[in-house]
Amino acid sequence: MALRIVVCAKEVLDPDAVNNYALEGKLVIGDDGKSLTQSSIPRLMNAYDEQAIEAALRVREAGVVCTITVVSVGDPGEILKHAASLGVDEPVAIQADTTRLDHHGVAHLLAAFVRSRGGADLVLCGRQASDDDQGVVPALLGEHLGMPVVTIARSVEVAAAGEGFSVRVVRVTPDGDETVAVGAPAIVTISNELGQARYPTMAGRMAARKKKITSVTAGDLGVAAAALAPRVSLVKQFVPTVKGSCEVLTGATPAEAAAVLIARLRAESVLR
Amino acid sequence: MSRVVVCTWGTSGGAEELLTLGRGVANGLGAELAWAVVGPMAEDLTAIAGRYGVAVVDRLTDSKLVSFAGDVAVEALAQYARQHELRLLLVPQTFEARTTAPRLAARIDAGVVMNGIAVGAESGEIAVTASAFGGDTRVVYVLSGASRYVVGVSTSALTAEAAPAPTTPAVRDVALDLGAIAERVQIVARSEAAGPRIEEADIIVAGGRGLGAKENYRLIHELAEALGGMAAASRPIVDEGWAEPARQVGLTGKITRPALYIAAGISGASQHMVGCAAAKTLVAINRDPDAAIFRYARYGIVGDCLEILPALVRAVKG
Repeated sequence: MALRIVVCAKEVLDPDAVNNYALEGKLVIGDDGKSLTQSSIPRLMNAYDEQAIEAALRVREAGVVCTITVVSVGDPGEILKHAASLGVDEPVAIQADTTRLDHHGVAHLLAAFVRSRGGADLVLCGRQASDDDQGVVPALLGEHLGMPVVTIARSVEVAAAGEGFSVRVVRVTPDGDETVAVGAPAIVTISNELGQARYPTMAGRMAARKKKITSVTAGDLGVAAAALAPRVSLVKQFVPTVKGSCEVLTGATPAEAAAVLIARLRAESVLR
Repeated sequence: MSRVVVCTWGTSGGAEELLTLGRGVANGLGAELAWAVVGPMAEDLTAIAGRYGVAVVDRLTDSKLVSFAGDVAVEALAQYARQHELRLLLVPQTFEARTTAPRLAARIDAGVVMNGIAVGAESGEIAVTASAFGGDTRVVYVLSGASRYVVGVSTSALTAEAAPAPTTPAVRDVALDLGAIAERVQIVARSEAAGPRIEEADIIVAGGRGLGAKENYRLIHELAEALGGMAAASRPIVDEGWAEPARQVGLTGKITRPALYIAAGISGASQHMVGCAAAKTLVAINRDPDAAIFRYARYGIVGDCLEILPALVRAVKG
């Protein structure tokens, strides 16, 4: 029996581009008071989700027979093409107006999709999306599907166990690494410690051109509009101001500058 | 009467700061402030609660809640939430709460927001200001559409303030039935936390890409040692393997609040600043006079950290 892996992916504004604009003080909030509208900021797959795909591909390369489905909510054509070029079996778009959905709605749609496929053995998600940083969808999904959720993984290994599978995860915790075992089905969120996600090969890109993106709607999944009504509404976004009262200490040599700093910190009792 | 509940594991994790925040929200909503304490109970629990204006302390104790376990914690809080007219449950955003809070929200059919830095209530409506884009922006979420909410709050930037009029809180033990709950995730091995943690350090010296090469990270260790502090790192150099993950400060690392934070060769990306902005005194050393880190710093030295760091070690020892 093949291991059924579903990876959840989100399209986000490139966080590095947003960061560069922010550092230069040039990040613009749109007329609606809540959107980042600069068209020069590229849209791409959330990097943690790319690493979740990477984790799935590593499970396959470890010799586990599996199917890898990548699912995204909205109109994520480009990121699903990217997923296809990495060699996943089926890219799926759940058609929805993401401006009207909150995490609650997204989790409902993803759960309904997994159920529509008769379940999954392993659901992989990025630890959080780099736009809102909320990181709540995997946990909500776990509750909706009745699956345990293991967060912030640096590695995922799957082994056959009886009729099913067992999953071994190394988690990154504030106290160091923690190795946990959980029976499938389970949800695992992937952190950057997994390491660099691969780039598509030329052959992968060619093959992806022929791969069809499956498209489903909330109606197809039997999700009523009422279940998608938002509970949390983004009403405003702004760039926080930094006070900026830095006193630059100088000296003719590094030694002089260092001496001035240490003397100052001692005078203020920051250092003894 | 509807309730605003502050929920903490024992009295740890910024409980007093969060009780201060919760009191303001409860006042704004005309709701009662309750404090749900899970797991270990401090002796001075009632005294702390009274100081911060808590009306009711609800104690969640069980033989299964002696140490933290995710499935048990979620179920215990869900049982507790169902017993009350809960409007808002506030949790300090600890590592465990990152997962427990949204799971609880789904189980009790509540809405959820994490990364909160401020929570306000006006005209019966709750609004949460949260950090987004790794700290580059702030977003304001309005909570409407569900009858109850779970909100995770970063307590590092909050301050604790006693209530103008202390209360004499009622203390209750919450009835829980956790007999049937078995943890689905089993811990196989844990790497022992080696020594002190940077979250608790009073002095931190952190290095970034400006160090240029892995071998130069020892300069960070040397200054940290000379100052009696701890060495930390930015995410890029942890990803490069120059420093251990346990030393990473920032959004996906540790949130620190030392008395002194010296950032050497760190540009000051928001993702990093999330983890050190609460430092009382921040010192920046960077070759680039326009580096963002100088906007956050109290003192700056413009120069090559490979020269400044050893000079600082000598200045401290001299």
